[in-house]
Amino acid sequence: MTMSVTEAVLRRRSVRAFRDTPVSLETITHILETARMAPSGCNFQPWEATVLTGAPLKALQETLLAAQPDDPMEYDFSEPGKHEKYKARLSSLGASMYGTMRIGREDVDSRTLFAQQNLSSFGAPVLLLCHFPKFMKEAQWSDVGMWLQTIMLLACDEGLDTCPQEWMGVYGKTIKASLGLSQEETLLFCGIAIGYRDEDHPVNNFERERVPLSEQVRFEGFA
Amino acid sequence: MQVSEAVASRRSVRAFLDKPVDPEVLRRVLTRAQRAPSGSNIQPWHAVMLTGEPLARLQAAVAAEFPKGRAGHSIPFHMHPVGIDGVYRERLFGVGEALYNALGIARDDKAGRLGQYARNYEGFGAPVLMLVHTKAYMGHAQWADIGMWYQTVMLLLREEGLDSCPQLCWADYTNQVRECVEFPDDHVFYCGMSIGYRDPDAAVNNFEVVRAPLDDVVRWQGF
Repeated sequence: MTMSVTEAVLRRRSVRAFRDTPVSLETITHILETARMAPSGCNFQPWEATVLTGAPLKALQETLLAAQPDDPMEYDFSEPGKHEKYKARLSSLGASMYGTMRIGREDVDSRTLFAQQNLSSFGAPVLLLCHFPKFMKEAQWSDVGMWLQTIMLLACDEGLDTCPQEWMGVYGKTIKASLGLSQEETLLFCGIAIGYRDEDHPVNNFERERVPLSEQVRFEGFA
Repeated sequence: MQVSEAVASRRSVRAFLDKPVDPEVLRRVLTRAQRAPSGSNIQPWHAVMLTGEPLARLQAAVAAEFPKGRAGHSIPFHMHPVGIDGVYRERLFGVGEALYNALGIARDDKAGRLGQYARNYEGFGAPVLMLVHTKAYMGHAQWADIGMWYQTVMLLLREEGLDSCPQLCWADYTNQVRECVEFPDDHVFYCGMSIGYRDPDAAVNNFEVVRAPLDDVVRWQGF
């Protein structure tokens, strides 16, 4: 399968139900080799990753299931959720996602159970864990984002799907210990689950909203 | 254009043709880029697109300040990691050397290097400049989201036959940007991106861009 950029951007969604079809090392290597060309300020290429499959992935998932979340986290992704405008975007996503699975707002147990599936990366056969030195600043975090999105779009090009998982960051210390990464020097940012989507699962088929362009982009000086 | 071709053909273009960009194409690109992912669907990116007179005004404001050197800089909070050394330093100097070599500007030609650097603030002749900003309270995770969106824009531009140059350096002139372009007080200014058509013959658009080998950034487990 090959895909235009537009097709890939439109096809990409956070897939939360994967089939157990394995992904070849060759395909992942090809994606990551190509993604090296992602841009970064000063060409720092601040991104690093550990890619797991098979027994090591299974072992990590078992460790995570038994582990406690970091408290506090080593970075914070919750701040925007404290503000009305962004809280609304999050709530709307949750409503669509759980709505499509017929899990009600008050059904906390089912919601928690589903969220726990983050720990097994929704059944994906491959997990990329993204980490980098703690001294990186905002601009380098943005660079890391450019690289991660490059990987996600290239995955589409290979007929693969992904789910970016900040959830993994909640278990940063546990993951770093399991991977043998330095607790002091390295920050565990997120996971990218990689595999083939279960096309029929409702959680892969609800509509995801985005705000209209005019809320975020302004044009000046154009005819 | 296939994703991999867009990733491979994207480079920081530093010589643009004097050819206008159709605003409808920019709207199409930016509308599609709204599909970029973000944690909790926050969509933290904001941008102002400048062309024509408003762009010329900003360029003039920076040009007036440029001769003061660092004394004229704002202090960008987000740009450089503290204590970069080793591999990151090598990557930074590597791209600098490749760029100046392509232009035939010697290491000791300080005026030549400064003159080339100043071209940043003319957008290297690009007819459009995108200025990116976000809420000041956004955390590191949201900066990564902004990067995902930012790279989505660059890849979609490739598909339209357009090129870009992501430019952190505009943050050195945050004060001038704020004087010329309105955005909310509780936002921070991130960077600029020059947009236009590349001059395919310019040497500065044709030197080889080096990236770290994959083994330097990725480890494999279980494959």
